[in-house]
Amino acid sequence: MLAEILIFFVAGLALLFLGVPISPVMAIIGLIGGLLAFGYPFMNSIGSVVWGVHNSFILTAVPLFILMGEILLRSGVADKMYNALAKWMNWLPGNLLHTNIGCCALFAATTGSSVACAATVGTVALPTLNERGFSKKLSLGSLAAGGTMGILIPPSIALIIYGSLTNNSISQLFVAGVIPGIVLTLAFFVYLMIASISIKNTGIIKVSWPERIRALPEMLPPLFIFFIVMGSIYFGLATPTESAALGIIASLFFAWRGGKLTFAMLHKCFVNTAQLTGMIILIITAAFILNLTLSLLGIAEMLTQQVLTLDLTLTQLTLVMILFYIVLGMFLDVLSIQVATIPIAYPIMTAAGADPIWFGIFIVLMSEVAMITPPMGMNLFVIQGVRQDKGPLSDVIWGALPFALIMLAFTVFLIFYPEVVTWLPAKMRG
Amino acid sequence: MEINKKIAFYASCLFGYLCIGLSIFVSVEVVMRKVFTKSLQGADELGGYVLAIGSTLAFCIALIGNNHIRIDIFHYKFPDKMQAVLNWLAKLSMLFISFLLAFAAVGVLQETMSYGSSAPTPWATPLHYPQIPWTTGLIIFFGLSCYYLINATWLLITRRWNDLRVLYQPKGSADEVKEELLDLEHR
Amino acid sequence: AEKSFNVLGQPLATGLIQKNKEQPFFENFAENTGLAIDANYKPIDVTGIKSEETLRVLKNGLFDIVSIRTAQAARDEVFLLGQDLVGLNPTYEKARQVYDAYKPHFAARLQEKFDAKLLGLWPFGPQVLFCKPEISGLADLKGKKVRVYDQNLSQFIESIGATPVPIGFSEVQQALSRGVTECAITGASSANTAGWPEVTEYFMPIGFQVGFNGYAINMKTWNKLSPEEQEKMQAAFDKLVDDIWVYSEELFEDALRCNVGKEPCTTVTKYNMKEVPVNEEDLKIVADAVKTVSFPTWSETCEKNYPGCTELWKKVLGPLTGIE
Ligand code: NA
Ligand code: NA
Repeated sequence: MLAEILIFFVAGLALLFLGVPISPVMAIIGLIGGLLAFGYPFMNSIGSVVWGVHNSFILTAVPLFILMGEILLRSGVADKMYNALAKWMNWLPGNLLHTNIGCCALFAATTGSSVACAATVGTVALPTLNERGFSKKLSLGSLAAGGTMGILIPPSIALIIYGSLTNNSISQLFVAGVIPGIVLTLAFFVYLMIASISIKNTGIIKVSWPERIRALPEMLPPLFIFFIVMGSIYFGLATPTESAALGIIASLFFAWRGGKLTFAMLHKCFVNTAQLTGMIILIITAAFILNLTLSLLGIAEMLTQQVLTLDLTLTQLTLVMILFYIVLGMFLDVLSIQVATIPIAYPIMTAAGADPIWFGIFIVLMSEVAMITPPMGMNLFVIQGVRQDKGPLSDVIWGALPFALIMLAFTVFLIFYPEVVTWLPAKMRG
Repeated sequence: MEINKKIAFYASCLFGYLCIGLSIFVSVEVVMRKVFTKSLQGADELGGYVLAIGSTLAFCIALIGNNHIRIDIFHYKFPDKMQAVLNWLAKLSMLFISFLLAFAAVGVLQETMSYGSSAPTPWATPLHYPQIPWTTGLIIFFGLSCYYLINATWLLITRRWNDLRVLYQPKGSADEVKEELLDLEHR
Repeated sequence: AEKSFNVLGQPLATGLIQKNKEQPFFENFAENTGLAIDANYKPIDVTGIKSEETLRVLKNGLFDIVSIRTAQAARDEVFLLGQDLVGLNPTYEKARQVYDAYKPHFAARLQEKFDAKLLGLWPFGPQVLFCKPEISGLADLKGKKVRVYDQNLSQFIESIGATPVPIGFSEVQQALSRGVTECAITGASSANTAGWPEVTEYFMPIGFQVGFNGYAINMKTWNKLSPEEQEKMQAAFDKLVDDIWVYSEELFEDALRCNVGKEPCTTVTKYNMKEVPVNEEDLKIVADAVKTVSFPTWSETCEKNYPGCTELWKKVLGPLTGIE
């Protein structure tokens, strides 16, 4: 049995690296495995699974959150927020660099798409950073790393995918992402301060208080949206999908008030939302087909048994998982990592005693690392694409590396202090 | 605009307005529940149907926009001819998954019709109402995949390697960034 | 063993019945049936299949045996819900009478439509009322928000002047805690496990429905068994089902005690809720609901796919309910 699994695994990876789209690869493996084991009835039962995935109110949150983020982005909220935030952070050593992270964190809290976020902030920030003579590596690194926050700080498509694959409450997962998101942002701040103290701070600009106050309203829309979405979830007024609907109405309001609500803008949002949704839902569909085969064949159970016989402690097992995800994250994109590993890793980890919500945050942190590790690191490519000075990709890679290390250190910290993740969801429950 | 881009555009608008319409309905429901202690009942059911029908549209839109992700870290290191053949293989694989989904949906719809199923919800919607557009959407997705495979196959047998390589190459992050930057200028 | 059956079980989240009765039964299937057959048992939530789909995957042959949840499976055949209309089964005793009377017709319909043989059904447990504000009877529900889980219950709640709010089970505890809903209905034991008593004050053990679950086997699989094997298999399931009937009632009564802080309390957490005694008047309201609300709604939907099912129901359950 193990030999067959290995053959399928290697064949699947080969197809992926040859550039066959991810969703058909997963569906093919699931279908062949299912047909071999159960014959034609397997084929006839796929429909039941597919309808269940598509007719899902929980997954309806995916397009709604993407659309909400798109509306905020294309109505210029992010650009304005960056400028406003810069006025407030000018006194910190490495001021504009903090603004990168802060802006990404705030923006992360409103959008599901980190590429759009990194691209927007990167485009607004890089020219200013260059002008003021900031360290190139530090600027590029902070942008690449800041962009990854979008999948940790809710709303997060990654957490919706985790919740739907593992039957965990999306509300709980969202609430669990808040404190780790804040702590990680602060850790980035601290690193930036230390790294910029030695550098002669050429970036200081004087900003008066009235100027700061005037800039405040620009920061309100993203904060307001965040509180609508997370507040309605935390206080039990709305499910995540319902909160996304509220978020869309609020973002439409802000776009209208800013004079940017036009049909052209909306239609641009619709196109991007539809493209991204189609890509994501197709992958999730394929993941459920593969999962049906995996679960019927008892593969996850078998691997769980194998792992449990190794007699590792939860800490040791988690450390092994970290290594596994670092390697996988070097080569695969975030979505493939999630859909391909969660069905297997989740039963193993929960059987070993990991908290399901905690493990969701763990997976997301590992995905964040994957976004900025070479050779396949989406955010590295995005920031490289945005910069105007034609420097080498290695600038971005080296600049992002310390941030990846901080994320890993933070993940290890969470092994020993899981309450950082589980405290707020527990508080929400009762 | 090319004709298929135009189709994708109108389909996206339909998809988007469906999402907005759903958002309005759901928001009204949330506010009514809290403020007037009344419930419209069925917001979740409606949401499920919107996703089912919207997804089939979105699959087609993503297919036309070449958005179904492929891992391209090695792709551009392969010889040109091989890149071309792999692009053809990618289209073949999309045909496979679209066929699987359309086949499955037809089976589901047939069963629904023969059982006379209706949703176990306050609305008790006859299930074929949402499943007919859902199945139709997946059949269109299959048809569209056929169209792209035929195109790619034609390029393959007429040995137009370069066209096949360039026309259907994986959409990389570079393209995405380019689009973002273009959009940024218009804001 | 020489053969292996694919078995689709209750969701892991179902709680103690799944964990202590169903799963052990299938994990020692050969021993329990005395046949050389193993079971490849999978709880439904592990497979990603939804409960509404169980009868379809049974008919398609992917599974040999499925554990049906009638409330959800009734999507494909409303007739299956006819034995669990709101108000029909206030007690275990009554539920057993209804079950025994309805069973042959339930089984026949299952065979006719889904090519499956019914092996037996058991009650998940009376669905009872939890409230945060003080209530002394059903009359006090007027103007309050009550969490419901299906159409039939929703209409009943409306008929007594309350607002039905459909909320998924996993969200209810929080909804109660934050006042999104003031009351909620579910099984006494599962509510306890989900922590509802932490966020509600009043507990009224009046049973609206009992939630019939149970087992069916694919007819092709069944026909491949010899008559002796069939007999052994049926006997094993009869024993399992009877066993669960008893266990379900034990769990229910234990949960009743635990929720209000009485002893002995062995299966779930002890809380200190106030018990709202069920009086004759309330029992009558619920019992009348069969005639006024739940039966008319049900029969309307049922007739669409199963002409004559209203008459059949009256013939079978009329004597037990007084509806003619
Ligand atoms: Na986010
Ligand atoms: Na990577």
